[in-house]
Amino acid sequence: MDASEVEFLAEKEMVKIIPNFSLDKVFLIGGDLGPFNPGLPIDVPVWLALNLKQRQKCRIIPPEWMDVEKLEEMRDLERKEDMFTPVPSPYYMELTKLLLNHASDNIPKADEIRTLVKDIWDTRIAKLRLSADSFISQQEAYAKLDNLTLMEINTIRAFLLDTLNCMYKLRSNLQ
Amino acid sequence: MDTQSYFPVPPGVGMEENFLSLDDILLSHERLPIRTECTFPQLGFLEKSIPESPGTKMELPLWLTKGLYERKRKVVSVELPKVYKEGWRTVFNADPNVVDLHKMGPYYYGLGSQMLHFDSPENPEIAQTLLQTFIARFRRTMDSSQNAYNEDTSAFVERLDCLEKALFRSGQSGLNGFQSWEKGQASQLTASSLVLNYRKRKITDVQP
Repeated sequence: MDASEVEFLAEKEMVKIIPNFSLDKVFLIGGDLGPFNPGLPIDVPVWLALNLKQRQKCRIIPPEWMDVEKLEEMRDLERKEDMFTPVPSPYYMELTKLLLNHASDNIPKADEIRTLVKDIWDTRIAKLRLSADSFISQQEAYAKLDNLTLMEINTIRAFLLDTLNCMYKLRSNLQ
Repeated sequence: MDTQSYFPVPPGVGMEENFLSLDDILLSHERLPIRTECTFPQLGFLEKSIPESPGTKMELPLWLTKGLYERKRKVVSVELPKVYKEGWRTVFNADPNVVDLHKMGPYYYGLGSQMLHFDSPENPEIAQTLLQTFIARFRRTMDSSQNAYNEDTSAFVERLDCLEKALFRSGQSGLNGFQSWEKGQASQLTASSLVLNYRKRKITDVQP
């Protein structure tokens, strides 16, 4: 899987916007998008929110977890724990990149948020490598990793699967 | 997109070899020291060292040795190359990370797995050493492939065996894919490498 494909899947998440136009209810295959009234907040998928923002037809409200204090707490919790902590959103990395690239004027303290999310990402990737290393060196049969997001799995998938294949075949030599 | 334009046949790891894999074909050219158990009459024109009497030592490539080896008829008997012998095995068990596996024969794991065909009494220890070496060196390979972005890694890579080089490359491709996505280069359209190779583009298109 590509990073762009994971980003595509992330665009299905809902985010709150305040439109500045009015439109009746729209009936799409994926679901209905309620009537748009100027000045009233409404939940839409991220792909629509970004499109409207680029045409200057709405204002994006940052999700609740995209807040400096909350992210700092999450980062400190992540550094203390050995296992993976519950993540603010299953697509936090992609949403951060998309929202901060297109709508940074609607999000307060955008740079700090970017740094904090990067810190959380680095800590989780380091934990992932550590657990992959202990998995291989002790030749365990399966590992349970809660609270991993698709993006993190995606970066390590090719390497880990190839290594496990090689290890399996070298182990079959022993018989 | 990171996918290649064609998929080369991967080498068969372990006791099998893939017939169409280039890596396996190159592997089978490695020479093994053998002892002949019977005469090869009138074959002296093939190679100067072909013996007329049994019990001579010489070196044959792997593909020939595999074809000639037979448990019952004893045409040739294979000795282990020195990398798989007792002395080197203790070095690998002590610390596999300092060894330059490329110098030991670029196909250390591949050749070691093929040697298991030849029924030497030390087979279980050889297989065990191969596995332990691989596991111990895995940590280094993972760390450097996942952390070295846009750096010159040739000093590290030249000490790796071919199998580990392939793993290194797949780790690097995962890292490069993520980094280029983060920079926003993943959605930029670039000309495919195949088309650039045709060299039919005008010079003004290719040069920045």
